[in-house]
Amino acid sequence: MGALREWHARRRRNIHVAVFVRSGRDGERSVVSAVETSFDAARPAGTPRQILLARGVTKGFPGVLALDNVDFDVRAGEVTALLGENGAGKSTLIKLMAGFYTPDRGEITVDGVALQADPASAHLIGVATIHQDAHLVPAMSVGENIMLGRWPGRYGWVSRKAQRERARAAVARVAPHLNISTPAGRLSPADQQLIEIARAISEDSKVLIMDEPTTSLSPPEIDRLFRVVDDLKANGLGIVFVSHWLEEVFAIADRVTVLRDGRLVGTEAIADLDHDKVIRMMVGREVREAEHKPRPIGDVVMRVSNLSRDGVLDDISFDVRAGEIVGMSGLVGAGRSELAACIFGIDPYDSGAVEVAGQPIRTNDPKAAIDAGIGLVPEDRRRQALVGLMSVRSNMTLGLFDQTTGYGFLSSQKEEEIAAREMKSLAVKAASSKVRVSTLSGGNQQKVVLGRWLARRPKVLILDEPTKGIDVGAKSEISDLIVRLAEGGMAILLISSELPEILSLSDRVLVMRSGRISAKLTRAEATSETIMSYATTG
Amino acid sequence: MTLENTQMSDIAPAGHGKLPGLRGRISFIDLMQSVGLLAVILLGGAIMSVLSPVFATMRNIENVLQSATIIAVVAIGQTFVILVAGIDLSVASVLVLSSVLSVGLVQFQGLSPEIGVLVALLAGLGIGLVNGLAVTKLRIPALIATLATMTIGRGLAYIYSGGTNIAPVPRFFVDLQAARILGIPAVIVLTLALALIAQIVLSRTSFGRSIYATGGNPLAARLAGIKTERVIIIAFMISGLMSAIGGLLITARFEAGAATAAQGLELAVIAAVVIGGVSLFGGEGNIGSMLLGVLLLGLVQNAVNLLNVPPNWDSVVSGLVIAAAAALDVYRRSYLEAGMRKKVIATKSKQASKA
Repeated sequence: MGALREWHARRRRNIHVAVFVRSGRDGERSVVSAVETSFDAARPAGTPRQILLARGVTKGFPGVLALDNVDFDVRAGEVTALLGENGAGKSTLIKLMAGFYTPDRGEITVDGVALQADPASAHLIGVATIHQDAHLVPAMSVGENIMLGRWPGRYGWVSRKAQRERARAAVARVAPHLNISTPAGRLSPADQQLIEIARAISEDSKVLIMDEPTTSLSPPEIDRLFRVVDDLKANGLGIVFVSHWLEEVFAIADRVTVLRDGRLVGTEAIADLDHDKVIRMMVGREVREAEHKPRPIGDVVMRVSNLSRDGVLDDISFDVRAGEIVGMSGLVGAGRSELAACIFGIDPYDSGAVEVAGQPIRTNDPKAAIDAGIGLVPEDRRRQALVGLMSVRSNMTLGLFDQTTGYGFLSSQKEEEIAAREMKSLAVKAASSKVRVSTLSGGNQQKVVLGRWLARRPKVLILDEPTKGIDVGAKSEISDLIVRLAEGGMAILLISSELPEILSLSDRVLVMRSGRISAKLTRAEATSETIMSYATTG
Repeated sequence: MTLENTQMSDIAPAGHGKLPGLRGRISFIDLMQSVGLLAVILLGGAIMSVLSPVFATMRNIENVLQSATIIAVVAIGQTFVILVAGIDLSVASVLVLSSVLSVGLVQFQGLSPEIGVLVALLAGLGIGLVNGLAVTKLRIPALIATLATMTIGRGLAYIYSGGTNIAPVPRFFVDLQAARILGIPAVIVLTLALALIAQIVLSRTSFGRSIYATGGNPLAARLAGIKTERVIIIAFMISGLMSAIGGLLITARFEAGAATAAQGLELAVIAAVVIGGVSLFGGEGNIGSMLLGVLLLGLVQNAVNLLNVPPNWDSVVSGLVIAAAAALDVYRRSYLEAGMRKKVIATKSKQASKA
């Protein structure tokens, strides 16, 4: 602990030290060794100092190359916006900078010191990350949260006085309206975020990474946050700002770095960019024009009218016709899954109505939605659709008791008939229908979920990210299946974050943004650019 | 889930090219659960028959089984609750309340014994309903909700009985205790019959399937159209009803409306159920294995008595056995699951290399 204190003292005197930190099992950090380095390297006048530098960073996960040879830097007194579609690699880059992952190749340095793959050492070296939703201990006071894990004092006794003073100093800079003895859980999301920023300041951070900090904030709160960011900038912090909202990026950023499919598209000064150029950089790819055979479109099967849920969905109206695939696009957090949850009765809604074939459906009752003819393939199949301990067969026939029972008794013969039929038609790869569903691959698990709905022949099928986390082969099988179902007259609502999927399958595209439908596009109008534009602005 | 319809060849040891034991009606782990427990019981029995000349007598074995019936009947109900990832602490209180009502209504109120039994059973169902509603509608954690009804139930039993045992009992109870069917005590036959019904309900009916689904993944069950709240309420009602039946058995055994009996029985029941392989996380377990857990606990109690362990030490011994059995269970389960994971990964990479 002595070494750590000394190191803090040196850092306050602006002597840069390379630290190698080990986290003990009890969470105590100990400095293993410290090497002094100097950073008065000559740099061209007028260019802000580079604080964080990532060179040739590559990071892969099983089956995906999340980042491929990416260069990125953060400069003192500047806000660098990090942009890209869902899955472009932003989160991976942030997690690398925050010390959660080690790069497979390349390195990240902060003031010349290599970053270790350890969140604690990232903090010590001066990188603080503010995650999308605040990570505070709700029952602890603002002051305690700011000093969390770094409680001043000795021998395990916390010095309340020192804690108060240091917390007060940090709070005064970013949120003077807050009282440090208020429990953190009673603060608004915006204030909780400010507390996280105060925590970063009290740690003498040099780089502040803000991962979509504005998602849960109201416009005045965003203004306040931006004033704080300007103040931090003036004090020489380097800030990384991740946001899906382009207006915000143009309001706050000095530079923009765009990632696409794990690769760096480019870094440009904000002055050289405009809205359309940024979107072109983000979308970039050539849109493969999959052949789209026109299908006969029938009558309206499902009609959603004026559906609202406080703080989540705002006046949603649309319909889906028999044989029609309606794509629903939008960014993560735009409210698409929440809309599916309301339609299917998982969550209640405040006003509006859902009708299937002209009949209104009771709210907050999945059974009523199913009986009315709606099916839902949810986004998180492990959590929301499958019982991992049960066999493929039991999962396939779960809730199909009207087809598999006589007088309340299950017929394993009927269950097997249904399971065998759907496994064959969907080409489920499994040793038998009796293996546990959790032993199957993601694609095959998804087919089990699909099979359950197909056995029921719903009028409307809602698919929420049906090909997420599924390998390429199974992906195209599922896409083909969706088309076949529509040809058979089923009405399909396809929620997907993958633009190619939306563009190649949909007859119409709805774009959601901030809980509202921001655009209803015909197949001809829907392009990557128009969808991305409506998803991020307007 | 009976043992006989799974052949040993189904449990292929790792490396034999097929997924281990996932083929029969019973999973590998379920089978090992039963086989493992059975082995421990047989081994323990063998050791006991060497150590104590009394142990292997028909009389003693019958005695062990007969005293296990009460825990077994209550444990059947508890199994339903634990399968939906709940817990029911009120079982012993429901049991004594049922016991004092079944005798007291005849003794104090002069009602017929049939009415007494009926009211006792309805009281059990009623407390189960309250537990279920508290857990589902008020969203009180099951541990707390049933802790409350446990305290209330015991209190009501004391108030009604005046804190003492009520005797004599109606003739019906004496006959029940003495009756034999094909030479086997009727209470044992009754217990086995209830266990068989419970097992059939769990494995062969849509309600049973809903129980496993609700415990295994409540959200997925709800999204598949299962009324999970209703399933949970019924599970608690079954537990209440079975506890009330346990109360009738204890009345017959003690020939009294026993207000002060069954102290700490809820913990013995939960221990037996968990030793019997029912997962406290829900969704996993079956009645057959669970009964072996009850039997093991009964055996330990019997051994402690026969070996003249000082009375103050017998609860220490029982506790150690529970801890050992549970630790062994956790160890075996993680060992098996690790093996299964390896197996699955191996199979997947094999499939991948073929493709």
